[in-house]
Amino acid sequence: MAELSDASVPKFAAGCRWGGTTEAPVVLFPEGAIRVEGTGRIILELCDGHFSMAEIVEKLETQFILAPKDKIRADVQTFLEQLHAKRIIDY
Amino acid sequence: MTQYSHPLALIAEITHRCPLHCVYCSNPLELTSRQEELATADWLRVFNEAAALGVLHLHLTGGEPLARADLTELIEGARKSRLYSNLITSGIGLSRERLAQLVEAGLDHIQLSFQDSTEGPANWIAGARSHAHKLELAGWIREHQTREHRIAFTTNLVVHRQNIEHLEEMIAALEALHPDRMEIAHAQYYGWALRNRSALLPTRAQLDRAVAVVAAAEERLRGKIRIDMVIPDYHARFPKACMGGWGRQLMLIDPAGRALPCHAAGVIPGMRFDNVRDHGLDWIWQNSEAFQKFRGEAWMPEPCRSCDRRKEDFGGCRCQAFLLTGDASATDPVCELAPLHRLIEDAVREDAVTGLAPEVLEAPFHILQEKMAGFWSYRTDPK
Repeated sequence: MAELSDASVPKFAAGCRWGGTTEAPVVLFPEGAIRVEGTGRIILELCDGHFSMAEIVEKLETQFILAPKDKIRADVQTFLEQLHAKRIIDY
Repeated sequence: MTQYSHPLALIAEITHRCPLHCVYCSNPLELTSRQEELATADWLRVFNEAAALGVLHLHLTGGEPLARADLTELIEGARKSRLYSNLITSGIGLSRERLAQLVEAGLDHIQLSFQDSTEGPANWIAGARSHAHKLELAGWIREHQTREHRIAFTTNLVVHRQNIEHLEEMIAALEALHPDRMEIAHAQYYGWALRNRSALLPTRAQLDRAVAVVAAAEERLRGKIRIDMVIPDYHARFPKACMGGWGRQLMLIDPAGRALPCHAAGVIPGMRFDNVRDHGLDWIWQNSEAFQKFRGEAWMPEPCRSCDRRKEDFGGCRCQAFLLTGDASATDPVCELAPLHRLIEDAVREDAVTGLAPEVLEAPFHILQEKMAGFWSYRTDPK
């Protein structure tokens, strides 16, 4: 499995995109959909191919000022790795 | 009457016409003819109604969906209705230009079927010369994965006793086509597959080896190719949660517009299916007798009724229960707790045996065909 580094640029894998409604957005992928809320949604909205892993973590830091940086990075990494194994996120 | 909020996926069997004649085809034995097929405008209305009902995914299947000349228009309509479109195809009849049109129209996912790893056996299983074209097509699909709108590419392989021994080679051959996803689906015994069960059902030892082969491939390909496997339920201890439960998540519309809770529901006697020509999808979902029939738990006999697993497997498959026991309300005989579980044990003992077919598979293709003539029931084409 590809390593996720600070320089990696996470983005939706082929055939994965936003769907559902503005109030209840889902990520659509072959044979399934996931409902994302809260932090998960914020992270995935940053996975548009424009931001590196380091930049995503930085943006979250300014949003969640009380959380330690290491914890934010670890959480984002776990989240993106899980979606990578499902072939929803590429990096 | 149990009310369900909405289905998540719509399976649109847009035609039963097909250039292949696979021996495990899941279409009913009685196929719908071209004259009875829904018109373009009907399908576009159905897609709109489905999206309004909360459906997210549209699976365009058949038969061979490419046999419909209006496929591009249907995909365009699906995109306008905000549905995620998945084309399930043999690829026969798909040129590079037509593929580009489908992608341009908004196709999200293409699922291409394979029958075996090499030309001879693959064509033999499909009853048509098709393998070489599929390989070429896979290359064209890859061309669309580097652009702005990238479609997902799945290879689908139906596994059974005639090809299970080549599983490792098949995975390697498909890996070389660089799909995003591989579906490794053991044949399920309905329709034509049930008719050919004695030649298709793998032995327990074969299945165990196949499961190990897939597990090793999953480990090796993690993050590159996602593998989804469907095991043959005859070898399972408990039944599959067929369709995620009757009338809970899925709706299937057949080529003539009849709305069914699953592919095979037409085999159950006395079922009345409402047609999208007469009713809206919302009405059908809420009110159609066919969707009500096995919803919830009221229909369940013992041991399902008091079983903890009933919320996971919903009592298994109603069509399989009918096909094997003659009673659609019976516990799926796959379940080791089912009163008629011996029907499955008998089938495994009698049908899942290596015999005639695997030995002759070594023979050159033309000899194989002669030896096997009359052994299979190939699906026929509708008139």
